[in-house]
Amino acid sequence: MLSEYLPVVIQLLIAIGFAAFVLIVTHILGPKRYDPIKHDTYECGVDYYGNAQRKFAIKFYIISVLFVLFDVEVIFLYPWAINLVDLGWQGFWGMFVFLGILTFAILFAWKKGALEWE
Amino acid sequence: MSEITIHHYIALSAIIFSIGVAGVLTRKNAIILFMSIELMLNSSNLALIAFASFMSNPVGQIFALFVIAVAAAEVGVGLAIIVTVYRNRNSINIDDVHLMKG
Amino acid sequence: MIKIAFIILSLISIFSALMVISRKNPVASVLWLVFHFFGIAGLYVLLGAHFLAAVQIIVYAGAIMVLFLFVVMMLNLNLVNNEKRGKIIGKSIGAVVSGLVLVLFTYSIRTTKWNELFFNQVTDQEWGTAVKLGSLLFSNWLVPFQIVGILLFAAVIGVVALMKRKITRKVENGIVITQEEDVA
Repeated sequence: MLSEYLPVVIQLLIAIGFAAFVLIVTHILGPKRYDPIKHDTYECGVDYYGNAQRKFAIKFYIISVLFVLFDVEVIFLYPWAINLVDLGWQGFWGMFVFLGILTFAILFAWKKGALEWE
Repeated sequence: MSEITIHHYIALSAIIFSIGVAGVLTRKNAIILFMSIELMLNSSNLALIAFASFMSNPVGQIFALFVIAVAAAEVGVGLAIIVTVYRNRNSINIDDVHLMKG
Repeated sequence: MIKIAFIILSLISIFSALMVISRKNPVASVLWLVFHFFGIAGLYVLLGAHFLAAVQIIVYAGAIMVLFLFVVMMLNLNLVNNEKRGKIIGKSIGAVVSGLVLVLFTYSIRTTKWNELFFNQVTDQEWGTAVKLGSLLFSNWLVPFQIVGILLFAAVIGVVALMKRKITRKVENGIVITQEEDVA
């Protein structure tokens, strides 16, 4: 079972190795010409102002939290879906109640206007 | 070291938990404080799964699954509180949140 | 082989945990935390908890980290990052207390008779898959599972109540007035 993870390890090593290789090689081989104008964000055009990390609006946050909470719900769906036949009606109704509770959650958020984009 | 036993996993879990405690006690940035709490939750998960594995009892894994779900809910609400504090006081330094100090 | 993997993964997770609590820039902390979660997921695989390793990566490294990064970006922490330097006393007290916690753990680990409690490590490599977990979760642990559902519901209510502002715009004498009020 553990040896089945060998492809994952190889994939990770290739990904890390490729990224490191590209960074190092471009650093060594690339021409280095230092010039204040060249290092400007926009070489021609408008001068930049402010910070690169801009503030997001709060409304994005509600959407992302709802995503995380319903992501956890989906995590519980995986082991249920695989075992659906073996679990019988008990598992079916258990998941039915669970999904019912979370349906109330999404209805609450909807009713309060958390899903609206204003 | 001859064989990886329960001791190694529990020691690793204890070390990560202590790092989390150090983070909570030394940092002032509320978001990094939250990350330290995540470190502690993760180390307890590691201990639960190590116990489960070495007792041949899968119940520890169920607990770990519940801990992950609780952590997700906790992070969502906690970060919402931090954002609300920031909106009212324009700072997330925990030293600036002292209105309830007697 | 398992020994080498354990050593590498534990070094990764300890080192990245130290980096999380020591970086000044919160964005760097978040990225080290992702690294930490990958190390922990690898340890779960070594323990045979395959489904939980996947959950760890999907929920923690995927979703929770996005939330953290999001808040760091949203609050524009370059402005906020003015943690007062030089409070050495407070920091050293914190470090000493966490060291004491570690000493306490070490003591209790040393004095527990583990061999009487944990003698049979699991040999069945299938025990941590989603199939095994699901059959247990939906038979013996059905009620706690429903309570997790209620907890998620409560979290949704909390987030909406804390964050949602009702924005009303009206035009008076040609000037647009926006008003914000809490909904819950």
